[in-house]
Amino acid sequence: MIQLFKNRRARHLREMAKYLRLVFNDFFVFALLFFLGGLGLGYSNLLKTLTSGLWWAPLVALVVLGITVQVGRFATLIEDADRVFLLPKERAMQGYLVAARRYSQWLAQATQLIVLFIMTPYLRVTLSWSLATVAGLAVTQVILKDTLLRLDLASAYQVTGQRRMNHWTNKWGLSLIVLAVGLWTNPWIAAILAVLADGAVAVWFQQHWQRQQIRWREQIALEDNRMLGIYRFFNLFTDVPMVSGTIHRRHYLDGLLRRIPVRHDQAYLYLYSRGMLRGTEFSGLVVRLTVIGMILLAFIQGTWLPVILTALFIYLIGFQLLPFFQQYDDIVFTHVYPLTWEQRLRSFVQLVTLILTTTAGLMCLVVILADRRLLPALGTVGVAAVEVWYLARVYTPQRLKRAAQNKG
Amino acid sequence: MALTVSHVVGGYSQIPVLKDISFDVKDGELVGLIGLNGAGKSTTINHIIGLLTPHKGTITINGVTITQDSQAYKQQIAYIPETPVLYQELTLREHLEMAMMAYDLDQDQAWETAKKLLKTFRLANKLDWFPANFSKGMKQKVMIVCAFLTQAKLFIIDEPFLGLDPLAVNDLLHLIQERKAQGASILMSTHVLDTAQRYCDRFVLLHSGQVKTEGTLSELQAALPEAGESLNDIYLSMTKVDRQ
Repeated sequence: MIQLFKNRRARHLREMAKYLRLVFNDFFVFALLFFLGGLGLGYSNLLKTLTSGLWWAPLVALVVLGITVQVGRFATLIEDADRVFLLPKERAMQGYLVAARRYSQWLAQATQLIVLFIMTPYLRVTLSWSLATVAGLAVTQVILKDTLLRLDLASAYQVTGQRRMNHWTNKWGLSLIVLAVGLWTNPWIAAILAVLADGAVAVWFQQHWQRQQIRWREQIALEDNRMLGIYRFFNLFTDVPMVSGTIHRRHYLDGLLRRIPVRHDQAYLYLYSRGMLRGTEFSGLVVRLTVIGMILLAFIQGTWLPVILTALFIYLIGFQLLPFFQQYDDIVFTHVYPLTWEQRLRSFVQLVTLILTTTAGLMCLVVILADRRLLPALGTVGVAAVEVWYLARVYTPQRLKRAAQNKG
Repeated sequence: MALTVSHVVGGYSQIPVLKDISFDVKDGELVGLIGLNGAGKSTTINHIIGLLTPHKGTITINGVTITQDSQAYKQQIAYIPETPVLYQELTLREHLEMAMMAYDLDQDQAWETAKKLLKTFRLANKLDWFPANFSKGMKQKVMIVCAFLTQAKLFIIDEPFLGLDPLAVNDLLHLIQERKAQGASILMSTHVLDTAQRYCDRFVLLHSGQVKTEGTLSELQAALPEAGESLNDIYLSMTKVDRQ
């Protein structure tokens, strides 16, 4: 079982490494450095204004450390099929789960130490602590995190008639009490408290796990949720197949959608427009890029820069809309319904024209309002109009026709 | 002759799954397409609805092939897939409207039919639901309603009974008979042999991509006298010969 976990961990780390490479691309690292530098400067300036003896200083530390200790979840790497295939191995799962907890420690404890490292000057200034005292708090924080992860481990097993041990009230209650003791009295007392709590949970778990069943459903749901969170984050930077986007009813758009007549030749426009507006995948993309473009355009100056930037954003959006044409290819009725491919293409071109016109219109508006000069305004509107026409009416049908021909 | 499949060789790749298949479905006839898993039922259906192109042979619906006039060909078919497929972003009402638009139906008339069907299958109060909120059986019912909304001449129904409650099975069978009486043809693939025996006019027994035998129940009984009375017995004896 421990071998199983090791295999899964290796696969998981490979996958994470693959995505992290994509996340930390040159642009992002550059932006991140600036951001961190700015934050560091702000923090050091803030420290200069602080003195010792402020009544709220330990309270701020309590909140920061209390939140930090909750960071770092119990990563079990359990999969949905496990509740069928590993059910006969339920007892042996203990080794697996213990290994999972050990693995979860790395990231969780690193986070604790980094936050404490950042907090050190703050604690030394406001509470006049020595480095040894801060070290005591660091020990407390690490043991506390260990306790919380142990609670998660114990809660993977079901205890009849009992509330889950890792209920958020338990976790927060325990961490706030221990940290408060550490901040207002002595960190080493808090460290002893944390050790006692950790030991108590450990003893309890040793005595109980053999007689209890694993909460498969909950553990699977928790792990899925954890992975979804990670994938969502990666999805901000690159396409993650596991995140397919969600669907929202968006009643408020019904008025707009009802303007498409229910007519034979409008069938695909009816479908595409609803899919576009209610799905998050493509509409999110359009909205994100449009908003970013508008913000950028609001801040930049120049005669040609706004024109180039507008053109670039329209191109980016128009280009990325192309795959939406194939969105319904795996639905059999797309092929069975007596509708022609040409009807479908016409509807799609109509939709792309509409989207790009709206986007271009908004960006031109920003340029006109931000700059208030004739030349950039005229230039942007002119270039945008030609580009929208070319992208939607010429390029899109050409590309899709060629793609269809290549397919067969 | 509503549907004629003649000498079709075909499959998903260059290796043929169907080996020279021929059968037909006449006007107002319900034909059962029977076969084991992997016998070629779904492949046959995929060829008929135009998802696959035969390597050899032709499929015509009332004299039209898909290459002659795909629009006229498809206009005549209504299809109920084995696993329900729905547009995730459309509500039930919008699915119905989509079908109406696709088949270019008269709105008022189609809605009248739709309302009756929705009532029969107890979906009338779920018009604004998304597919994600439907159970497997309900999705299957949505497929049925969308198909029977049309005035198609040929209904292709792939394994319709799995996942449906007994009441819905009964309602579906009534619906099939009603359309049959109006002259529509139905090709239905199924594993539920006793239901097939009671309702189908004729049977096409597929085995390893070939039409093993076809005909009415009495014709099948006459052809295999030692096999037994029921469709089930006949079918089992036929596959047994092959296993030896």
